[in-house]
Amino acid sequence: MAVVVRKRPVLITIVCIIGFIWIVFSLPAVFSPSIKKLGDWYPALFGMIVASSFISYIGVWNMKRWGCSLFIITFFIKEIMFVLINDISYPGIIVSVFFITSLMAYFKGMDLNL
Amino acid sequence: MIFLGLFRESILFAINALVVNKLRTFLSLLGITIGIFAIITVFTIVDSLEQNLRKSVQSLGDDVVFVQKWPWTFGPDYPWWKYMNRPVPDYTELDDILRKCDGAESAAFVINANITVKYKSSSIENVSIICASHQYNRVKNFEIDEGRYFTEIESSAGRPVAIIGDVIAKALFPYHSPIGQMIKVNGSKVMVIGVFKKEGESILGGSSDTQVLVPIQYARSLIDIRSDNLDPEIMVRAKKGISNDDLIDELTGLMRSIRKLHPKADDNFALNQTSLISNQFDSLFNMVGIAGWIIGGFSILVGGFGIANIMFVSVKERTNIIGIQKSLGAKNYFILLQFIFESIFLSLLGGIFGLLIVYVITLTAGDTFGMEISLSRSNIILGFTISILIGLVSGFVPAYGASQLDPVEAIRAS
Repeated sequence: MAVVVRKRPVLITIVCIIGFIWIVFSLPAVFSPSIKKLGDWYPALFGMIVASSFISYIGVWNMKRWGCSLFIITFFIKEIMFVLINDISYPGIIVSVFFITSLMAYFKGMDLNL
Repeated sequence: MIFLGLFRESILFAINALVVNKLRTFLSLLGITIGIFAIITVFTIVDSLEQNLRKSVQSLGDDVVFVQKWPWTFGPDYPWWKYMNRPVPDYTELDDILRKCDGAESAAFVINANITVKYKSSSIENVSIICASHQYNRVKNFEIDEGRYFTEIESSAGRPVAIIGDVIAKALFPYHSPIGQMIKVNGSKVMVIGVFKKEGESILGGSSDTQVLVPIQYARSLIDIRSDNLDPEIMVRAKKGISNDDLIDELTGLMRSIRKLHPKADDNFALNQTSLISNQFDSLFNMVGIAGWIIGGFSILVGGFGIANIMFVSVKERTNIIGIQKSLGAKNYFILLQFIFESIFLSLLGGIFGLLIVYVITLTAGDTFGMEISLSRSNIILGFTISILIGLVSGFVPAYGASQLDPVEAIRAS
């Protein structure tokens, strides 16, 4: 079975690096006192979002379509959570939309397999 | 069904890894165990302290305003020399407040002193005696376990009656009921008519368990109730629907008129409320929580690296097995999930050990510190969440690497 190796565009590399940095800073936030105060299940929900973001970035890094799909799903779940806790960050939405647009631009060239 | 099969297989792999490489697995899990232990211990202590504080504040009354000489909080430019000359609240001011304050539901004049209580040959020194006017039971939250509260006549006539705390009752009357018994308070005989319900230790002090409550009119015969040293106070409870801020505004005007202060003169009284204390503690708890979060965060990070390391080794060791599985038709996701489940299981195991250590500590520490320390549901959820998250994040890269292996190359690997 031949392993498909696709060349990663520079823009995707930059998006992924920024994403990985965001993950590094978000991971400790999962168990921060401020998230814990929101409710018993918020750390779990936020943790799930961070983990699936991390997995989606790995998928995108490897030029996999499932990475893009997971990223978009995670984005919507994250925004719904932020709306529920009344903590909407418009710069965050703009950055995420920019990321999604960048990913979609290269979506066709990505690998369909896992 | 396939997920259940995968799950079972992954757990078997993880157990196998545990059994075969006990020391290696133990050292890897230790990181997660210490991390979970550090974070959850700090959060448990902070939560328990906060809970105890809220309980104590609630017993003082969160809708009660205290008219006193000294404020409870002050900044760096605190002009204490000005406050020194302030008069202490007077019993006559209570009448004015009760008559004129529309926002007050009830009010009581209270002083606190230390005395010696005796019953036959038993005596307890330095007992806190609360001398209060009749409406004390309406401004202070407490329950009477045995007996009753003072009647209006007992309060106004200053009858020698007392309600004692649970600890005092058990110390002086270990074998029979204290109700109707005569105790000596500073040498004066007082009849016990009630026992407070056990409250437990209070973080702010002043638990009713170690207090004796007597009518203020009776206390006049025991102590000088106008003494500055006793720090007299008037407790005023707001009516339902009246906020503390509104009550404070009204009391400010009322107290200024009672004390006939010049419009330009500063207030010569302090109006304190329990939120002042809880706000001070909130910032302290936040600091402790953040400190624990940082320390525990680093431990978790190290633990995550440990799990990632063990998973990379695990993939390397089982490369040819992966190759055989793939050549027999196993899909990439099958291999991926197999290693992810294993990683989560290992991390979860470390987390469970950490939580168990915290639980054992909470069982023993409660008695040592004299306060209730409990592992809350939210902290258990948090412990499991962190464990699963670390297992998932640190195990994904090795698992994904394993899933992408070429079967021919993998089988050839030794």
